[in-house]
Amino acid sequence: MKVVYNWLKDFVDVTAPPQELASRLALSGTNIAGIENGPHGAVIDAEVSSNRPDCLGHLGIAREVGAIYKLPLKSVSPKPAESAAKTSDAVNVEIQSPELCGRFTARVIRNVKIQPSLKWLKDRLEASGVASISNVVDVSNYVMLELGHPLHTFDYDKVRDHKIIVRRAKPSEKMKTLDGVERQLAPDKDRQLDSGICMISDGDGSRAVGIGGIMGGAETEISFSTKNVLIECAWFEPISIRRAARFLKLHTEASTRFGRGADPEMAELASRRAAELILQLAGGELLAGVVDIYPGKRAPKKLRVTRAEILRVMGADVPDKEVEASLSALGFAPVRIDQNRGAEGSLLAAWECTQPSWRAEVEREIDLIEEIARIYGLDKFPPRLPAARQGAARLPHYEAETRLRDRLIGLGYREILTIPHVAEERDALFRPGGISPARLSNPLSEEANVLRSTGLVTMAAALEWNVNHGQRNVRLFEIGRHYDLTSRKNDEPEPPILTIGATGEAREKNLYDPAREFSFADLKGDLDSIGELAGGFAWRDGGAEWLHAARRGSVVLGANELGSAGQLARRVAEKFKFRQDVFLAELELDPLCTAYLAAKEARRYEPLPRFPAVERDFSLLLPDGTHFSDVVKAIRSLNISEISNIEAADLFRGKNVPAGKYSLLVRVTFQSREATLTDTQIGDYSGKIIAVLEKQLGAQLRAQ
Amino acid sequence: MYRAIMPNVENPTERTLAGLAINDPMAIEELFTSEKVRFDKQLAAKHPDEVNYTLMKNAWLGRKAGVLTLITENWLKSAPPALKPIVGQSLNQLKRHIEESLETFRVAAEKGSEEVASNRDRVDLSLPGVLRPVGSHHLIRQVFQEIEDIFFSIGFSVVEGPEIETPYYNFEALNIPEFHPVRDDMDTFYLELPKGAPTPLLLRTHTSPMQIRTMEKQKPPVRVIVPGKVYRRDNPDATHSFAFHQIEGLAVDTDITFCDFTGTIEYFVQQFFGPGVKTRFRPSYFPFTEPSVEFDVSCPFCGGTGTAAGGGTCSKCKGAAWIELFGAGMVDPAVYGFVNYDAKKVSGFAFGIGIDRLAMLKYGIDDIQIFFQNDVRFLRQFP
Repeated sequence: MKVVYNWLKDFVDVTAPPQELASRLALSGTNIAGIENGPHGAVIDAEVSSNRPDCLGHLGIAREVGAIYKLPLKSVSPKPAESAAKTSDAVNVEIQSPELCGRFTARVIRNVKIQPSLKWLKDRLEASGVASISNVVDVSNYVMLELGHPLHTFDYDKVRDHKIIVRRAKPSEKMKTLDGVERQLAPDKDRQLDSGICMISDGDGSRAVGIGGIMGGAETEISFSTKNVLIECAWFEPISIRRAARFLKLHTEASTRFGRGADPEMAELASRRAAELILQLAGGELLAGVVDIYPGKRAPKKLRVTRAEILRVMGADVPDKEVEASLSALGFAPVRIDQNRGAEGSLLAAWECTQPSWRAEVEREIDLIEEIARIYGLDKFPPRLPAARQGAARLPHYEAETRLRDRLIGLGYREILTIPHVAEERDALFRPGGISPARLSNPLSEEANVLRSTGLVTMAAALEWNVNHGQRNVRLFEIGRHYDLTSRKNDEPEPPILTIGATGEAREKNLYDPAREFSFADLKGDLDSIGELAGGFAWRDGGAEWLHAARRGSVVLGANELGSAGQLARRVAEKFKFRQDVFLAELELDPLCTAYLAAKEARRYEPLPRFPAVERDFSLLLPDGTHFSDVVKAIRSLNISEISNIEAADLFRGKNVPAGKYSLLVRVTFQSREATLTDTQIGDYSGKIIAVLEKQLGAQLRAQ
Repeated sequence: MYRAIMPNVENPTERTLAGLAINDPMAIEELFTSEKVRFDKQLAAKHPDEVNYTLMKNAWLGRKAGVLTLITENWLKSAPPALKPIVGQSLNQLKRHIEESLETFRVAAEKGSEEVASNRDRVDLSLPGVLRPVGSHHLIRQVFQEIEDIFFSIGFSVVEGPEIETPYYNFEALNIPEFHPVRDDMDTFYLELPKGAPTPLLLRTHTSPMQIRTMEKQKPPVRVIVPGKVYRRDNPDATHSFAFHQIEGLAVDTDITFCDFTGTIEYFVQQFFGPGVKTRFRPSYFPFTEPSVEFDVSCPFCGGTGTAAGGGTCSKCKGAAWIELFGAGMVDPAVYGFVNYDAKKVSGFAFGIGIDRLAMLKYGIDDIQIFFQNDVRFLRQFP
């Protein structure tokens, strides 16, 4: 809403300069987007919130100004000269749908002269950003900007039978609006739906001449040949206007005002004001009286506000005279009704107010308190911190997530955040079988039409972005959610997940070391470092389809399979045009965090050994397919309690190793809690180890 | 004097006392003094280094042919019983002197050798060390954490809620009925429904649904903040992303007033932006708060003057001296009706902080999209 500073002066004798006025308006609830100084003086751009339709006109803004500066509002009472002929003989109005149209007024002016407007009116319209068309049309716009109430003018002679019927739109009804567009006003007959759009029709009601409260029709519009004018100034029900505007995708100045709730009492006054201006600008004679059909007339609401409630909500007092001044200025006509009236500042003070017709949204005591507070000044309520009543709690998995996150960062992974909207076919690359993605019914584009089924699709995209921007060595993680309306587990449609992605070099070349590419072993080691926090992961053959068949595994924690990890399959990598190996993992977060807490609770100190440890290396030739875990299992089966550790120290194939075999150097650490182990004991254990490996795994001991 | 007595003796330690014709204590002391002088002269002539140290040590303290060994063998062992104590005493004195002098020489030698080495092998401090790759928290996460910590410190618990919501929680229970004009400002993503879904599903347009979910579960006192992702169907540009981040706050109790609300917000602002930053509350409108406010902070970058340090208009507040931060207010009593709270007995406040905007403001980021591109060149800037 463009507020023309000089126009305000028609209603209130404001002396504050525009800049200061704008700032005071902003601090009392009228948001100000800016001020422009144009050829017609200062124009304040006010962003009126949707609950204040009364401020969509200069009169309403002037009322605010009056309340702020304690200045009286000038009364608006146009008294246009009327001829002897009566309006009621010239036009007939019938409201068939009072639930959509609560009031309809009509006035008729004969023998007008349609011509361009006078300069003063053109200037004000121009300052408000409205184009001037002709005097009569301009008047309807002018009155709307002045009083906030939209109105419409018809060419009286084109209205059939001089009769107006206000009714609901009929199935499949169409009409051509002022803007020349042929519009469908209701769904087709066969859908049997009532759009609830209010139509202004003429004659027997079969022809629509306007969409009530939104836009007039083309067939009855004012032209330069118009002689006689019919002024419509009505009131339409706000919700039906909003529905209609949305249904028609037609948002106009009128629909905005009626949709937010115009003032029904203003309809007749605005019509009279328009008549006055038309007589002034276009001449002609105004017929006597007004046709005013007002089925929606309501008695004004009574509201009450008490000092006790002001104190309870606001926490600080407002003096009686400030309460009364602000409510009076805004039109609420406060009257003290408590027994202590006359006593300043009484705690029992109560005021009865009358809801003005232009403030339908002020219905409750709290609404009145807001009115008082905003005019009094929000800065007059002293800030303080509320008393704490109980301890504060973090999220249930805050500690576990923090530890995980910190460890991942220590391992060199950078945290990312992504938008879960992805293209369906990309999502499908990673989506587990049997899951249908959560699909948006109104996506912004086909590139973002489903919510991701896994975090891998967005992780791969983040790696892709970096590689394409010259960053080839990247390690990332995300703690996020994936989405699934068909609910794979526990009815949780958006379970939290940890996603990891890595590509490029694990170690970049530097002055002291050569470069080394990231490998599956790096991924496994990093994941096991996380697993350590939660009691340790187990790895199983298998893993998701999107992974390289030879370099993947599933990660198991206790009885839960948490997810998959490995190298991205060629087939999928090609879709992303990756020219380097990419490693990905995704783990369910909730069981991991739960296990973290359990592991933390179960953890106990283990005394450090007092006797020295002894290492023995076993260089083994093993048949291909024999796993290191088989070796460990075989050695453990000996139940030698002095074996404290078994590790794989070296591994190779090829030269000097027979086909079908590979060489594994196994390092076994012996340590006793009771005594230093003797050479004989170690020799004995070693013999047993060699024997069991030979027997169970067909291992051969290689010459050292 | 010594020379006068023993002018022709080349090396007296190779002879016995008898051979030197010495038989009184005075002469013995003179003899030892002359050895001491000889040692001191030799040592003083040598540059302190490892080689000279070993040389001198072997010459004087060497077990087989060192001077002291010779003295022990030639002078002490064969000395007449009457002179033995005085020879022994003098020998010990000489030995202590040699040992102490050599130790001082050794320390000097060591220091000297380090100096030589340091000129050759000194580290070049301008060369990089070995940098192990380290990760980083996402900037948005850092801001979340900072804000959570501020509110946690004044008794706010942290809760989270679903991103996929129903219209009831996202709108209706927040006093935003269908066709309410505010819905037009929050363009909403809807989901295609699985079969048998009882209600439409949408992506939450704000974190406010958790106000309702929290109050449904819990009786007052309530003090919670809700960090999370929210979605609005806006076309992406430098200042719009269809996903962004918010922190919702809610406090409800029997005695929460507007003063408690502004005090809490002011505390947050001063913790986050610094103690000199002022707050300003402007009346506004949200369906789920009454009174509603938008609040501004005095621009932390120009000190609330609107003028940049070097003159000219402050680029952060564009000369306005104030920066609009976010919307908030006292919880509208109508909302309590949806969660069976007695609006006559309880009151409270709620706010919603836009995290992305706050981070952009604080760190001078001009494109919201960069948060979601996850370019490591960006991530690296906030270690």
